[in-house]
Amino acid sequence: MPETHAPLPPGSAPVSIVMIEDDEGHARLILKNIRRAGITNPVHHFLDGTTGLEFLINDARGPARNGPALVLLDLNLPDMSGIDILARLKGTEELRRTPVVVLTTTDDKVEIQRCYDLGCNVYITKPVNYENFADAVRQLGLFLSVIQIPDLDESGIVRGGDSG
Amino acid sequence: MQAKSLSSLGRDDRTNRQIALLLAIGFLGLAGASGTAFWVQRINEQNSRAVAHTLEVESRINAFNSANERAETARRGYLLAPGAAFRLRMQGAQQLRDDLLERIDEITRDNPAQQERLHDLRQMVIELDTLQDQTISGVVGVRERLAQNFGEDGAVLLTRRIRDKAREMLDEEEHLLTARQEQQDTTIFRFNVLLVLTTVLVVALSAMTLTLIRRNLADLRASRNDLNQLNDELEDLVDLRTEALRRANAEIQRFAYIVSHDLRAPLVNVMGFTAELETAREEIHRFAARLDVDQPGLIDRATRSAIEEDLPEAIGFIRSSTRKMDRLINSILKLSREGRRTLTPEPVDVTALVRGILDSLQHRATEQGTTFTLDPLPALVTDRLGLEQILSNLLENAVKYLRPGVPGEIHVSGHEEAARTVISVRDNGRGIDARDHQRVFELFRRSGPQDQPGEGIGLAHVRALAHRLGGTVDLESTPGTGSTFHLSLPHSWQPGDSHA
Repeated sequence: MPETHAPLPPGSAPVSIVMIEDDEGHARLILKNIRRAGITNPVHHFLDGTTGLEFLINDARGPARNGPALVLLDLNLPDMSGIDILARLKGTEELRRTPVVVLTTTDDKVEIQRCYDLGCNVYITKPVNYENFADAVRQLGLFLSVIQIPDLDESGIVRGGDSG
Repeated sequence: MQAKSLSSLGRDDRTNRQIALLLAIGFLGLAGASGTAFWVQRINEQNSRAVAHTLEVESRINAFNSANERAETARRGYLLAPGAAFRLRMQGAQQLRDDLLERIDEITRDNPAQQERLHDLRQMVIELDTLQDQTISGVVGVRERLAQNFGEDGAVLLTRRIRDKAREMLDEEEHLLTARQEQQDTTIFRFNVLLVLTTVLVVALSAMTLTLIRRNLADLRASRNDLNQLNDELEDLVDLRTEALRRANAEIQRFAYIVSHDLRAPLVNVMGFTAELETAREEIHRFAARLDVDQPGLIDRATRSAIEEDLPEAIGFIRSSTRKMDRLINSILKLSREGRRTLTPEPVDVTALVRGILDSLQHRATEQGTTFTLDPLPALVTDRLGLEQILSNLLENAVKYLRPGVPGEIHVSGHEEAARTVISVRDNGRGIDARDHQRVFELFRRSGPQDQPGEGIGLAHVRALAHRLGGTVDLESTPGTGSTFHLSLPHSWQPGDSHA
């Protein structure tokens, strides 16, 4: 179930975070660390790939139609591979530039390489060492603040192109 | 299949005996036939000589007859016309007749019946001689009386009797000749019959021998085919087993990968929320400290102990256990990742490879006082990295599990066995209990005192890799004396089938 947030008016929309993560514990830990890092952006959480993709591409509040977003993606989902979702995002014109952070337990080099090849921006391994994990999530805040402004501009141009 | 081969072997033996027997009979038959032929030849020769002899006797008797007739004719002539011519002719014929008589006597010594007749003949000839001599003796009146009355002439009668006796002798010889001829005919007939029988026997034996040999050859061919088939089946079986092993191995690798992967996710939660618990405890701890200042004595001992001791202890155990579990999962992951690596065969200079590993272990070995010895090893075609990992693990173990106070001696040797190469790593370390010889190759299993760091991964990895390279690994060991690990690999390994 997505966490519900009040729809924000277009134009002034802050970057929303779309988290696709089937493990509720992981989702909770990620959210806690995001909030602890002082990031207040709205977070939409989905437990499987299908609803996550549906929101990303078709939902009125989703990033394809409404505002910039950051996608937090787990690779091991019950209904599809995160790699497939990544490929779909990068293959959709409106979402091509949406930054994607892959957050998963896999530290397989081949897997990581494939994610970067498909256009993933950051790859974070969920370590068992929790402090490192928390640090990594907090750095997400830094990343978010860096991408926020150019992403807004680009999104504006894309949207302009769409409406025009 | 096996029973069939054995029975054909048994038949083989029996057939050999039969063939030998038949050949022996055949040779005996042939020997008999040739012996008989020789004997028949001898008899024939004897017969021929006898026939010649008989013919001579006959011819002499005829000559004697003729001489006798001539003598008588000459006497008659003398009776009619006395004169020297008839007298001389008669005397010449007499002489010839007597000579012939002597000759006949000589050549019929072997025949008593003829000798008897000859004796009679001789008596008569003597009588005749007397009469003939009287004829020409010139006694007056004798010749005239004889000339007038031939009918009273005793010589005529005598001559006729002599002629009859000679005829008797001729008949006897004729009879002998016929008897010998008949005997010869019988012998030749018998010999011919024997020859035909021997020929039939030899042909029959040859046919039987040939049949037996052919049957024997057919059996041999059948046995050979059976053997080939068994051989093929065995190869197929080995291939099948190898394939099954390989598949089982791949299955385990995949299983290990998925399990370890999926185990990590809950572990992240355990660790994460343990950290959250820790944070919460610190919050409570701070609150308790504040309470102690504001309202001292409010917190009882049990609560304080829970905050200060029980919670940190519980969290500590959860953390250390989680870390341990994480290490194990990482080990399995590493192992399964190794198992999924694509292996590529290439020619490997095993001696140089082992020397490289020994060099990397040299520092530690020098500290321990361990010495390495290395025999030249056969070259292999295999996956270089895989072989290196196997031998590294074996050599590291050898260096790791030495006996305290005993200088280590580690020896690497190799030899070839048919299509395989066996590389042996021998140490004089603490050894492995016989009960653990299989167990040490299992994941997370270790033998002996647990006084060395490690997760019990190495040998499991070694065995899995050896299997993937078409090989096996096993060990001989006596506790307290040392261990020898044998790695058996094909000379030339080809990744016949891809792994999972």
